[in-house]
Amino acid sequence: MAERVVLMIGTRKGVFVAESARTRRRFALRGPFGDGVPVYATLVDTRGATPRLYASNCNPFFGMKVLRSTDLGKTFTETKSAPAFPGDDGRALANIWALEAGARKRELLCGAEPAALFRSRDGGDSWELVPGISNHEHARQWQPGAGGLCMHTIIRDGRRLHIGISTGGHYLSEDDGETFTASNGGVGAGFTPDPYPVFGQCVHKIARHEAAPGRLYMQNHGGWAEWDGPGGRRPGIGVLRSDDYGRTWRSIASGLPSDFGFPIVVHPHDPDIVYVVPLEPQTRACPGGAPAVWRSENGGASWTRLSRGLPKKESFFTVQRDGMVIDDLRSPALYFGTTTGQLWIGRDGGEQWECLFDSLPPIPTVRVALV
Amino acid sequence: MPSVIVFIPGPLRPYCAGRAELPVDADTVGEALEVLEQSQPALYRNVCDETGAVRRHLNVFVNTDNVRDLDGVRTALRQGDVVTILPAVSGG
Repeated sequence: MAERVVLMIGTRKGVFVAESARTRRRFALRGPFGDGVPVYATLVDTRGATPRLYASNCNPFFGMKVLRSTDLGKTFTETKSAPAFPGDDGRALANIWALEAGARKRELLCGAEPAALFRSRDGGDSWELVPGISNHEHARQWQPGAGGLCMHTIIRDGRRLHIGISTGGHYLSEDDGETFTASNGGVGAGFTPDPYPVFGQCVHKIARHEAAPGRLYMQNHGGWAEWDGPGGRRPGIGVLRSDDYGRTWRSIASGLPSDFGFPIVVHPHDPDIVYVVPLEPQTRACPGGAPAVWRSENGGASWTRLSRGLPKKESFFTVQRDGMVIDDLRSPALYFGTTTGQLWIGRDGGEQWECLFDSLPPIPTVRVALV
Repeated sequence: MPSVIVFIPGPLRPYCAGRAELPVDADTVGEALEVLEQSQPALYRNVCDETGAVRRHLNVFVNTDNVRDLDGVRTALRQGDVVTILPAVSGG
């Protein structure tokens, strides 16, 4: 039985690892690793006998690296190579936004900026471009959002592969990544005259639960309810649900204080329970300076505010797209990191919040695993 | 063909067996980088991206002159020149 809870905290100044017993009362912090370099993607790969921890390492001077640890984050070393575009491609890797376990032993998948997918078959020592999405006919028309043109979501579901791109939208493969189709029916965009384009939406994050085949939740770029120009108002386009593997989507934003936000997380034991962090669309900060996580227990039909233990005022941080996760213990805890360097734990599914670390560097990404 | 020295900053020395200086025969800065691409590929990937461009936050000097103020990677080299690779003053 897994005995330890491991958090990987990717920050603007390296990656930290926090470890706790299953009680999660106290977390011991290690790091930073990676020479103070920004980390936007991490992975705890629990498939082998020895867990492997991975972290991207976005070095502004010397380019992209992938770090790997085989001692539970006590030490990290560079893999033999990092993802790179072919020499004649014309694109150059700017960041790594997603690291996920692939279908086969030692296989890893990597979402990059500019938006592209790479695959490693040897645990990160060598990488190949996945052309079906990276060279998709739409690829040269995707545009960068404020965070860059990033492929941030990779979800495997048997031979299906869901990809989230900002700004590109949601793409679905049903042949193990050979070919991809833009699957954005009902996914709105506020920054184009056409409110529902075929592709080009600014998808922020997508989540699913293994026990609910076909169902997906999406945090999209909302905040366009008051738009009065061409195409008309677009209320509620920010929080969406699909029940047909992402082919069509419908709004589940009703009841939230804002449909703008970045992360979206599904409860590990109940696909009807989903969490978001609504933010003011103009400032990307907590509404009214009072942070809260919102939970739906009925698949998005209604929402409840969870804020016990969180600041009641004067808090204007952002939780970024990979900044919130949930563990899969019987009474799961949520965790979110902030752009102000705080790492919060929401015990009992977010009922009671506590700040675990309050002065880390800005936190783009948090991952959790039991090992 | 002129023989020059390429000076490697500390953070990049692990990618070339710890060496601080690499002797190279090249007519231009670009040719010197091409030599490094063949002889020190791990080091080269830190200096140039996949398109062959020198990374945005790195500067390359010939003696005391930034090649950006000369002829870029086409800057000609002379016998005994020192080519220095340095991280730019940037970041926060």
